[in-house]
Amino acid sequence: MFDYILNVSGYVLEGSLVTFQLYLVTAIFSVILGVLGALGKISKIPLLESILSFYTWVFRGTPLLLQLFFAYYGLPVLGITLEPFPAAALTFIVNYGAYFTEIFRGGIESIGDGQYEAAKVLGMNYRQTMSRIIIPQTVKRVLPATSNEAINLVKDSALVAVIGLGDLLRAAKVAVTRDFSIIPFIIAAVFYLIISSVIVTVFRKLEEKYSVYE
Amino acid sequence: MIKAKNINKSFGELEVLRDVSFDVQQGEVISIIGPSGSGKSTLLRSLIGLEEINSGKLFIEGISVKKSGKKAYEKMGMVFQGFNLFPHKTVMGNLIEAPIVVKGETKGEAKKRAEELLNKVGLTDKKDSYPAQLSGGQKQRVAIARALAMEPDIMLFDEPTSSLDPELVGEVLTVIRGLADENITMMIVTHEMGFAKDVSDRVFFMDHGKIISDTVPEKIFVNPESERIQNFLTKILSQN
Ligand SMILES: Nc1ncnc2c1ncn2[C@@H]1O[C@H](COP(=O)(O)OP(=O)(O)O)[C@@H](O)[C@H]1O
Ligand SMILES: [Mg+2]
Repeated sequence: MFDYILNVSGYVLEGSLVTFQLYLVTAIFSVILGVLGALGKISKIPLLESILSFYTWVFRGTPLLLQLFFAYYGLPVLGITLEPFPAAALTFIVNYGAYFTEIFRGGIESIGDGQYEAAKVLGMNYRQTMSRIIIPQTVKRVLPATSNEAINLVKDSALVAVIGLGDLLRAAKVAVTRDFSIIPFIIAAVFYLIISSVIVTVFRKLEEKYSVYE
Repeated sequence: MIKAKNINKSFGELEVLRDVSFDVQQGEVISIIGPSGSGKSTLLRSLIGLEEINSGKLFIEGISVKKSGKKAYEKMGMVFQGFNLFPHKTVMGNLIEAPIVVKGETKGEAKKRAEELLNKVGLTDKKDSYPAQLSGGQKQRVAIARALAMEPDIMLFDEPTSSLDPELVGEVLTVIRGLADENITMMIVTHEMGFAKDVSDRVFFMDHGKIISDTVPEKIFVNPESERIQNFLTKILSQN
């Protein structure tokens, strides 16, 4: 029994490698996309704002699973064929980028005019003001919402099993079917819980770090 | 030092500054008084480029604001009623930010001057505190030091003590008085009439977007020329 658990854990762990890779790639690029999207949304350039509003409307208003199918099964119809991992990564980055765009936009807009004015009378330009005064303060304010998304992403990553990507969940499912045992699912659940807990802890530490002011 | 000629500023239909003209010489201390909504803040904000004037001419140290844009504002500092300190930076961080980022000073240079300025405003022991840990009076003194860190020739103050508890007003006024003795050109919007009387070389009285009186403090406080000013002063003084 113990040997079996160890054996399946090793198998599920292999699957979770894909989950980790997807998680990392999505986290990095969707946050970058979100920052750029938020800056674009507050840019007061009407065309850019409209495009970004359309973008967040579509990607937050349709199921992630549909978007995933679209990237993997839909795009080939248009002559663009992606391997499962790039298709999944692209979908997740664009989807989470839409959520982060709205979260970061809200965070930036919550900073009062006084901060912009203080920076301006000290001679700082727009780039300096955003990068040194506004965005650092925004980080603190968006941490709770970002933390939620970070945990959602752990769970959403399991969706990639449906396009045949050998992730954590798929590994567990293969083991369940093969061995006719429920234990692989339990192991998978434990894995997800561990990952989520680590993320919650990381964000709690970050929030503590930022709580030195205010 | 500052020369304004027929400046006008409207917000939509609302004319907030109407043909305002004045001159301020190097080292002069000007207090601006007048009822709420008369355009005092808008005047200061126009001088430093936070508001764009609709017409008229504005020269700062001989440089036209229209032509040179940002350059004209470089020699000015401003202190706000609400402090507007950077909450995510320590007191020291607030003071060295602009000298490093804008002027390209080294951290060492910036810190050295910041130490001197904190000494001047009496907050040396607070340099590692965050703004949230300070009292209102301390915040405003940091804000003054932060503006001075850019070594301005002209300082603008927009009701620097209006959001302070009464017992904290004095410490801020003392710092401003100290600056007045240092030959820095200052324009101060204030409701502290005693202070305005002591510290100013001239007092502007603003009403409905115009400077309706520009005179020495003795005159305006002892022998106000119009009934409008008299009424305003009576009202203000009865509140204090
Ligand atoms: N950004 C703005 N948009 C519209 N109206 C404004 C704005 N700023 C000031 N005002 C109006 O302009 C008038 C003068 O304001 P202000 O200069 O702040 O007066 P004061 O500082 O003398 O109280 C007020 O009626 C005020 O409501
Ligand atoms: Mg005002």
